[in-house]
Amino acid sequence: MSVFALAWRNLRRQRRRTLLMGAVVAFGFAAFALAGGFIAQTFDALKEGTIRTVGQLQVVNRLAVTRTEEKTLEFGLRDAARARAIAARDPGVDAVIPRIDFVGLATNGARSVPFLGVGVDPGPEAKATFAGELVVAGTYLSGDGGDGVVLGTGMASALGVKPGDSVTLLATTPDATLNAVDAVVRGLADVRIKELNDRYVAIGVVLASRLLQSSETVSKLVVFLKPGADERRTAERLERALGAAGYSVAVRHWKELAVFYGQVRLLYIGIFGFVGIVLVVIVILSAAIVMTMAVTERTREIGTLRALGTRPSRVLWMFLAEGVAIAVAGCAAGAIFALVVRVALNASGIILPPPPGATHGMPINVRFYPLAYAAGLVAMILTMSLASFFPAKRASRVSIVEALTHV
Amino acid sequence: MPSGGAGGKEAGVRLPAGSAAPPLVAAVDASRFYRLGTSVVPAVQGVSLSIRRGEFVALQGPSGSGKTTLLNLLGLLDRPDQGQVEVGGVDAGNLSENGRSDLRRDHFGFVFQTFNLIAVLSAEENVAYPMILSGVPAPERRERSRELLDAVGLSGKYGVRPDLLSGGQRQRVAIARALSNRPDVVFADEPTANLDSHTAEGILDLMREVCESGGVAFLFATHDPRVVSRARRVVSLHDGRVESDEAR
Repeated sequence: MSVFALAWRNLRRQRRRTLLMGAVVAFGFAAFALAGGFIAQTFDALKEGTIRTVGQLQVVNRLAVTRTEEKTLEFGLRDAARARAIAARDPGVDAVIPRIDFVGLATNGARSVPFLGVGVDPGPEAKATFAGELVVAGTYLSGDGGDGVVLGTGMASALGVKPGDSVTLLATTPDATLNAVDAVVRGLADVRIKELNDRYVAIGVVLASRLLQSSETVSKLVVFLKPGADERRTAERLERALGAAGYSVAVRHWKELAVFYGQVRLLYIGIFGFVGIVLVVIVILSAAIVMTMAVTERTREIGTLRALGTRPSRVLWMFLAEGVAIAVAGCAAGAIFALVVRVALNASGIILPPPPGATHGMPINVRFYPLAYAAGLVAMILTMSLASFFPAKRASRVSIVEALTHV
Repeated sequence: MPSGGAGGKEAGVRLPAGSAAPPLVAAVDASRFYRLGTSVVPAVQGVSLSIRRGEFVALQGPSGSGKTTLLNLLGLLDRPDQGQVEVGGVDAGNLSENGRSDLRRDHFGFVFQTFNLIAVLSAEENVAYPMILSGVPAPERRERSRELLDAVGLSGKYGVRPDLLSGGQRQRVAIARALSNRPDVVFADEPTANLDSHTAEGILDLMREVCESGGVAFLFATHDPRVVSRARRVVSLHDGRVESDEAR
């Protein structure tokens, strides 16, 4: 009979205590699995959201990385159409879309509001990013954008305009003169961040170039990759290809651009790491108490086993095996519990409160994340082994004569 | 009924066979003291006693005379504070805890007053347990366990847990367990104390039969006159010292 078979029988003998300890392990495991699934889902959503906003790679003028522009498009990417065509030829690239970032004033004739503008290629932009999905009134830009403009809801409210109304956009050109264009409001977008809603303006690259009087120059090329394409290798190829064509560019990875993503990741890891440690400590303490009780109650049995010739190490393994058996059984129960809770949570439609600065919460979504289940199992086995070790060590060192007379 | 173990099993100590051989186990000027608060109480003082193959020995004496302590010392369940315990002529004090465990496993059997069966194991599994420790293959374990249970009159009780057995049946399982690894010496501490008179007589007859047919030495710590009357050698203890040692 193996130590595990004997351990299992002893656990069944102390059914109530085993159930109690198993429940602690099961809840601990379920917490691991659910939190892991929630974190994984959150990271994935955050990653997807980030990539669909900034792309996987961005091609910019090398100077734009190290220096700050004092004039609009001072470190822009010139001859952008040719660069875009070169980038689009890379086998890993799915789409390349140009963007022009600029600032200015929007006015309805009576009131002027400062804006953060972006010039886009409307078709590819709507296809690759959330831009089209964010429109809550009217439509997104179409064709080359024409004279259309999409305003943030806060901006439209401040100007008192709606789709179909006209606004005038003013901005400084690269040679520091002021220029203005008239535009027609095509749609209103809710960009989910209040401060940005109050300042958001999107127009076509053509109109932006006319406003800024800078044809064939963009702030960046946003690159989306084909599924499975290697980001690092594609970035290296793009840099080489554009360099060979005479461009002095830097290719930036989305993680460099999305500082927010890294910060949120660290915050979540910190919070859930702390909660995880607390959880492990609770399980260790509970298990240590239960195992100490088991050792105390079975002192006479330990004395008998030792008298019969059981080596101290086998006694140690017997009690460790009980801890591991509870861990495995508890994790199995916890996995079923976690899967049921996951289904219930995902079907509940609960909306989590919006993060600071955001205008929309998101529905709770807990993913099935096998790594969290595996990590929970390993954590519980290690935790229970650790919790069982000291009582088991004590059991293995007990004096046989004292154990046999233990009452 | 299993035969007495031949000398020399796995523990590295070869136990002697033959009348000229050294004793199976012997206490040599052994003393054991217990600390009670600030005072030290002698439980066994300077005792020398040897047990040879096939002996049926009763240690008798009043409560506190040191019977159980001496039994524990000779059974390697405890260590003397002074003197030594020899197994097959070898000082057991020099052995590691694992070495002493292996000696008990391979050469000794134990029968306790309160039976001390493992509650989660069936009668057959209790008997088989020492053989598991010795690495006896499963089919052989099963066969020998059943043979022993048959021999102690527990045919048909193989799969029964201890809590469903009577006191006499439990003690019979304990005896079968003590004999499972074909020991040289069985140490029995008040084996009849928790049994009714009829059952106690049956148990003692069984042990005597095992001793005579298999050459297994039995050493009892007992108050029971029925045990003493069956013993071929009676050692009387008083205040931790041997008062008399009589062969019958």
